[in-house]
Amino acid sequence: MTSRMTPRLAITLNGLALYAITAILLAAFYFQIARGELPCPLCLLQRVAFTALAFGPILAVRSGPRPFHYGLVIIAAMCGGVIAGRQILLHILPGDAGYGSVLLGYHFYTWAFLCFAAAILAAAVMLLFDAQFETEAAPHAPPYVPGLFETAAVWLVIAVALLNAGSALLECGFGTCPADPVHYELLQAFG
Amino acid sequence: MEFVIVFLVFAGALWLAWRRSPRLAVYAFAAGSMLAVTLYLHHATDALPLSF
Repeated sequence: MTSRMTPRLAITLNGLALYAITAILLAAFYFQIARGELPCPLCLLQRVAFTALAFGPILAVRSGPRPFHYGLVIIAAMCGGVIAGRQILLHILPGDAGYGSVLLGYHFYTWAFLCFAAAILAAAVMLLFDAQFETEAAPHAPPYVPGLFETAAVWLVIAVALLNAGSALLECGFGTCPADPVHYELLQAFG
Repeated sequence: MEFVIVFLVFAGALWLAWRRSPRLAVYAFAAGSMLAVTLYLHHATDALPLSF
């Protein structure tokens, strides 16, 4: 399909995707810190999947868009969807209060499932536009240099990934993460 | 501790992807994915009793 989806526009959209992933991970942190809702192991795995979702867009921003990058997004989103779907099914029986608080009527693992589904749809839509993959038209063009918008997006998502590692260390300590976390193990050990 | 390692592996993959080391980045991504699948299989049957 020919379109106005230039490589530059595709890279900008991938940068926007990185900001969306960062926003989701920061929202999870807000509920963890402000509301005291520590993430369970399946919750942490969903955060891992959101982090993995950023891999394809970062490659696209750095090296220009390729179908391979969108394929990585789809794989990460499918894995995240399986994890979120598992948590939905654990609490699907009538009368089950679910795990954690709700936002607009849905638990966060339900919202995560919807976000992963949206990521698959977005990657599939991006794959419809061939023009972004055409480099033959300008073989002697200088290599693309990411702008401040994309660079900031990349560093933000890497920073949030590292924050999640630190949070997991505080929550689980140096042992296995508890199935139903109620306090920060590392702070308990040294508090 | 296992989740700390997974987050660090993926953060490393993201950094390698940015540093124009796509081959190493893909290896790190694959390693992180295998770790995540292992953790999922280990934790998937947790009872998740409500604590709040």
